[in-house]
Amino acid sequence: MAENNTKTELPQMPRIGRGGAGQMNSRVNVQKPKHMKQTIGRLLQYIGRSKFILFGLIAMMLLTTGVEIAGPLFQQKAIDTISFSDGHLVVDLAQMRVYLVIMLCIFVLSAGMTYIQGILSAKLSKQTVYVMRKDLFETISRLPISYTDTHRHGDIMSRMTNDVENISNSISQSVTSLCSAVLTLIGALCMMIYYNPFMTLIALVTIPVTIAVSTNLAKFMRKYFVEQQKLLGQLNGTVEEMVTEYRTVVAYGKEEEALETFAKTADGLRTASIRARVWGSIMGPIMNFLGNLQYVLLASVGGYLILRGGTTLTIGSIQAMLQYSKKFSHPINMIANQYSAILTALAGAERIFEIMDSEPEVDEGTLAIKPEDIRGEISFRNVQFGYVPGEPVLKQFDLEIGAGKKIALVGATGSGKTTVVNLLTRFYELNGGEIRIDGVNITDLPKDTLRQSIGIVLQDAVLFRDTIAGNMRYGNPDATQDQLEEAAHTAMADGFIRRLPQQYETMLTESGSNLSQGQRQLLTIARAVLADPKILILDEATSSVDTRTEMQIQQAMNNLMKGRTSLVIAHRLSTIRDADCIVVLGNGTVVEAGSHEELLAKQGEYYKLYSKQFAGAAT
Amino acid sequence: MKKMFHYLRPYRFLAIISPLMMVGEVTADLLLPFLMSFIVNYGITGMDLTDPVHGSQTAIAIMEFFHGASYSRMELIVTFGILMLVITLIGGLFGVLCAYTAARAAQGMGYDLRKDAYGKVMSFSIEQTDQFTTGSLITRMTNDITMVVDFFEMLMRGFVRSPMFLIGGTAMLLMLDLKFTAVLLCSIPVMAVVLVTVLSRAIPLYSLIQKKLDNVNNVMQENVTGARVVKAYVQEAYECNRFDAANRELTDVNYTVAKLMAVISPVLTVLLNLAIVAIIYIGGWNIRIENAGMTTGSIMAAITYMTQVLNALMMVTNVFQQISRASASAKRVNEILETEPVVVGGTETEGRTNSDIAVSFQNVSFRYPDTKDRPVLQHINLDVKKGETLAIIGATGSGKSSLVALIPRFYDAVEGTVSVMGRPVQEYSLTSLRQKIGYVMQKSELFSDTVEGNIRWGKPDATMEEVEEAAEAAQATEFINGFGAKFQSYIAEKGASLSGGQKQRMSIARAFLRKPEILILDDATSALDLATESRLRQAIHKRMQGTTVIMIAQRIASVIEADRIAVIEDDGTIRHCDTHEQLLKTSDTYRSIYDSQMKSGAYIEKNTGVTQENSFANQSSLEPDEVTVQEQKGGAQSDGRE
Repeated sequence: MAENNTKTELPQMPRIGRGGAGQMNSRVNVQKPKHMKQTIGRLLQYIGRSKFILFGLIAMMLLTTGVEIAGPLFQQKAIDTISFSDGHLVVDLAQMRVYLVIMLCIFVLSAGMTYIQGILSAKLSKQTVYVMRKDLFETISRLPISYTDTHRHGDIMSRMTNDVENISNSISQSVTSLCSAVLTLIGALCMMIYYNPFMTLIALVTIPVTIAVSTNLAKFMRKYFVEQQKLLGQLNGTVEEMVTEYRTVVAYGKEEEALETFAKTADGLRTASIRARVWGSIMGPIMNFLGNLQYVLLASVGGYLILRGGTTLTIGSIQAMLQYSKKFSHPINMIANQYSAILTALAGAERIFEIMDSEPEVDEGTLAIKPEDIRGEISFRNVQFGYVPGEPVLKQFDLEIGAGKKIALVGATGSGKTTVVNLLTRFYELNGGEIRIDGVNITDLPKDTLRQSIGIVLQDAVLFRDTIAGNMRYGNPDATQDQLEEAAHTAMADGFIRRLPQQYETMLTESGSNLSQGQRQLLTIARAVLADPKILILDEATSSVDTRTEMQIQQAMNNLMKGRTSLVIAHRLSTIRDADCIVVLGNGTVVEAGSHEELLAKQGEYYKLYSKQFAGAAT
Repeated sequence: MKKMFHYLRPYRFLAIISPLMMVGEVTADLLLPFLMSFIVNYGITGMDLTDPVHGSQTAIAIMEFFHGASYSRMELIVTFGILMLVITLIGGLFGVLCAYTAARAAQGMGYDLRKDAYGKVMSFSIEQTDQFTTGSLITRMTNDITMVVDFFEMLMRGFVRSPMFLIGGTAMLLMLDLKFTAVLLCSIPVMAVVLVTVLSRAIPLYSLIQKKLDNVNNVMQENVTGARVVKAYVQEAYECNRFDAANRELTDVNYTVAKLMAVISPVLTVLLNLAIVAIIYIGGWNIRIENAGMTTGSIMAAITYMTQVLNALMMVTNVFQQISRASASAKRVNEILETEPVVVGGTETEGRTNSDIAVSFQNVSFRYPDTKDRPVLQHINLDVKKGETLAIIGATGSGKSSLVALIPRFYDAVEGTVSVMGRPVQEYSLTSLRQKIGYVMQKSELFSDTVEGNIRWGKPDATMEEVEEAAEAAQATEFINGFGAKFQSYIAEKGASLSGGQKQRMSIARAFLRKPEILILDDATSALDLATESRLRQAIHKRMQGTTVIMIAQRIASVIEADRIAVIEDDGTIRHCDTHEQLLKTSDTYRSIYDSQMKSGAYIEKNTGVTQENSFANQSSLEPDEVTVQEQKGGAQSDGRE
C-alpha cells in the first residue's frame, strides 16, 4: 500500500508506549465540542448560505407556532359556550359552530404551513449537507499526502459518514423541533400572562425545579450512558481483533480463553446497560410529576380564588390556563432530549471543520510550461528533509539525472528511497536545498504541470471501481481506443484483457479482485503508458508478485521506460542491474553511485547488499 | 425471530412482569384525564356531584372516603389534586420498574446471545469464517446483536404501551359516550390509509439511500487510500466531480424521502383536530338535548383520550418499522447460531509412537468450498520425517499455503488423508492436534498488548527467561531492546508501528515459546534479510532439535539449505520433492524459479569470486536492521488464498 511506504520510513517509535490505550479512550468519550461558539457560528454560516429557505423556514415556524397557540384559545372558547346555570348545562350551539369553523380553518391553514415547513427544513438540510460534504471532499482532495499518511483512514472516513449524517439529522429534526419548542414555550407564556399574570406566576413556580432537575439528571444519566458506550466499544474491539486474527487464535488453540475475555466484557456491558436504562427511564416520570404538580397548583389556586370571590378570574380562563400549562412541560422535556443530540452534532461539526482548517497543499508555481515540453533532466541539490523535526531522513542528497536515463535507488529500509520520490512529486516539501527539472526549480512549476510530467507505478496496484478502459484512461481521459489498445500492448496487458468476457469494458470488482496481482500491476503500467509522462517512477513495482511473474512485468516495464527519465526503486537487486546508474543511499546521503559493474568492482556497500541477496545461490 | 424468543426464555418471568408494569403505568396515564375532569367539573365549574345526569358516583365515593359526608369545593380540588399527584408517582414507579425488568430481561438475553454467538464463531473452521467474511462476522456480532437486544427491550416497553393506550383510550371514550367512539372509529381508517400510503413508498427508498450512501463512501474510500495515485495523475478535479455526482444522488433521494415524510405530520394534525372539532360539536349537541349525560369535563377528557389514541396509533407504525429492521438483524445473527461447526475434533491426544513420519499427505486433493474451479491441490503424496526440514516452493497462487493449512485442520482435504505422527488429523481432538503445531503466518498477526504479552501468547505460563530465550532465538532481542520499555513496550494498533520483519520475528518467537513438535513457517521469513534468516535457521537447528520444520518460501536462497524441497506446480500437484541439486536437474519449474532469481547470482560467482564463506562473514558483522533491504512493507505481499 502506498502510504505504508512512508509509514515504515516515518520514525514512529513515539507510538510505542502506553499512548495507544489513551487514544482509544478519547474516541469513546462523551462527545462535547471544545469550541462551542465558533463551531455554532461556522455551522450557521453554512446554514445561512440558503438564506431564502432559512427565512422562509423561520417565518413558517413563527406562523405555525402562533396558530398552534391560537388553536386551544378557540377550542376553549368553543367549550365555554357551554355554561352551567340553575343546575343545568346550557349551550349556545350557534356560537359554538362559529368557533369550531374558525378552529377548522386555523388547522387546515396550520397543516399547510407545517407541510411547507417540513419541505423547507428538508431542503435546508439537503443543501447544507450537500455543500458541506462537497467542501469536505474538496478540502480532503487538496490536502497534502502527509495528512493521509499521518491520519487514520477510518477516522477521516467517519467524518464524512457519521459526522455529516449527524449534522443532517440535527438540522432536519433537532433544530426545528427545538425552535418550535422554544416558540411554543414563549407563546404559551404570553397567553397565560394575557389571561392572568398572577396565575402565570403560580404556574412558573415549578419551572426552575423542572429545569434544575432535567439538566442535573441529564448530566447524571450521561455518566452511565458513557460507561455503556465505552464497554460496547471495548466489546466490539475485542470481536474485531479476535475475528480478524482468527487464524492465529485457532492455531494457538485460544478459543476458550478468547471466549472468557469476551464473556467478562459482555457481563460488564450487561450491568452497565441495565443501569443506564433504569436511570434513563426515570426522567419521564419525574417530568410528568412536575407537569401535573403545576396543573394541580393552578387548579387549586384558581379554584380558591373563585370560591373566595372578588376576582376577575373566570372559570373559562382557568380552564384555558390549565390547557396552556400542559403546553409548557412538553417543550422543556423536548429541549432536554434534543440537547445531547445537538451536542453530538456540534462535536461532529467541529471535527469536520478541523479537517477543513488543515493547511492545503501550497502551489505557488506560475511558470507556464506544458508537461509535454519537459525533457526530463532532474537534479537534486543539497536536499534536506525529515518527516519529524529533528529527525532528518535526507541530510545532504545530491544527484544529477540526465534526460532519458534510468536511475536505480538502493538502500536499507529507512534510508530514504521513497522519500526521494515523495519530494520529487512534491507530496512533501523540502526542508532545505532544491530540486530542479530541466534547470527549473520545481516550486516554480504549477503542481499540475509537475505531476502531469511524472508517471508513478507503486508496489500496491491502486485501481478504481471502474471498467478496465476507465482505469487505463485515468491519466489521459481523451485517449482513443487505438491508443488504449496500443498502451495495453506495450504494457503486455493486452493478452489477458482480451481473454476477459467483456474485454476493455470489464468492470473491476471491489479492489479488483477478479484480476491477479500481476495483472493488476500490468494495468497500472498500462495506465502510466497511456499518460505518457516524461519522467517515470517505479517504486517497488514488482515486490508483491513472485519472481517468475516479475520477469513478465519487467519486460513491460522495460518497454515503458524507453525514452523516459526513470527512477526505479527495487528491493530485488536483480531487476536493476541494467540501470544507467545505481545510487546507494545510506545515512541520509548518497553513499556511492555508478553502474552495476563499477559498483561490484568497488566492493563497497552495493557489493555487500548484492552478495547478501545472492548468498545462497553461490553454493 | 422465533429463535430469538427462545433466548428470552430464561428471562420469561421478567419478560412477563415488564409488560404488566407497563399496564400499571398506562392505567395511571389513562386515569389522570378522568381526575382532571372531576377537578374542572365539580371543583371549578361547580356542578353538582350528586346530579343524576352530570354527577359521578365514583367521585362521590372517593370524596366520602376521605372527607365523610360533607366537604367544600376547595377540598374537592385539593383531594383530587393530591390523588392526581399520587397516581402520577405510582405510574412513574411502575414505569421505572417496567424499564428495569425489561432491561434485565433484554440485556440478560443479549449477554447469552453474545456469548453463544461468539462461542459459535470460535468453533468455526477457517473455511466457515471465510464464507461469512470477517467484515460480516464483525457486524453480526456487534451491530446486529445490539439491534436485536434493543428491539426486544422496546418490545417489552413500547409495544405493549401503544396497543394498551389504543384499547384503554377507546374503552375510556366508550365509558364517556358512545358517540365519541364513533368519531374515533371514523378517524382510525383514514389515518391508517395515510400512514400505509406514505410508508409503503418511503420504506423502499431507505434501502436506496443506503446504496447511495455506500457510493459516497466508496468514492471517499478510494480517494483516501489511493491519494497518491489521484495526485500523481492530477485527477483531483475529476474525483471531485465523481464525488459530486454521488453526493447529489444521495441528497436527492434523502430529499425525496423527507418530502414524503413531511406529508404525515400535517395530515395527522388536521385529522386530530377534525376529531376534536367533532367531539366538541357532538358534545354541544348532546348538551342541548337535555339529560344526555354530557359535561364540559367529559368533553375535555374525550379530547385528551382522542389525542392519546391517535398518538398510540402512530407509535404502532413505528414499531412495525422497527420489526422489519430487527428481524433482518435477527436473521443474520441466527445464521451464525445455526451454522454447525464442520471441523469437529476426535478424542485422541497422542500420535502413534511407532511412526517416524511427522506429517504425511496421502493422495490429498483440496478445493475451496463453493468454488467450481479445478482443485487447488491435486493428488498430493508427501511424507515429512520427524526432525526433517522440508521447504515448499511454488508460484503465487499455486497452493502452498493451502497445503500446510490442512495440517492443523484449518481446512479439511476433499480427498485423501492427512496424518500427523502416524494418525489421521481427524482422530485428534482439535486442542491436542494444534498443541503439537507452531504455525507462523506471513501476514504476522500481533495483538494490542505488550511485547511480552504478545510472545507469551504462545504459552501463558512461560517464565520470563523462556520468553527472552524465544525472542533471542527468533532474532528479535535486538530490536526489542531498542524500544523504550523493552519487553514491556506496548504494541499499539496491532503493530502498525513495527516493520514487517519485526512483526514476523515476534510471531516466530511466539511459536518458538511453545516448543512445538511441528513448526510451520508459512512464508514467515519473507520480510527478513538473508543474513537474519540464515541465523534464524541456525537457531532453529540448534535449539529445536527433533522439531519437524515445514517452511514455505519465495526465495531460492531461503530454501536451499532445507533437507528436501517440494515444488508445487502451477496445477497444484507435487511432482518433485528432493534436494536443491537434484531439483536443478529434474524439475523444470524449480529451474525456472531459480533462473528468475539467480541468473545474476551466478554472474557474481563467476566474475567476482564471491564465495559462501566470505559472504557470510560479511553478514554476521552487520546489524540486522541496517541491511534489511529485503524488509518488505508489512503484509503487503499477501498471497490471498494460496
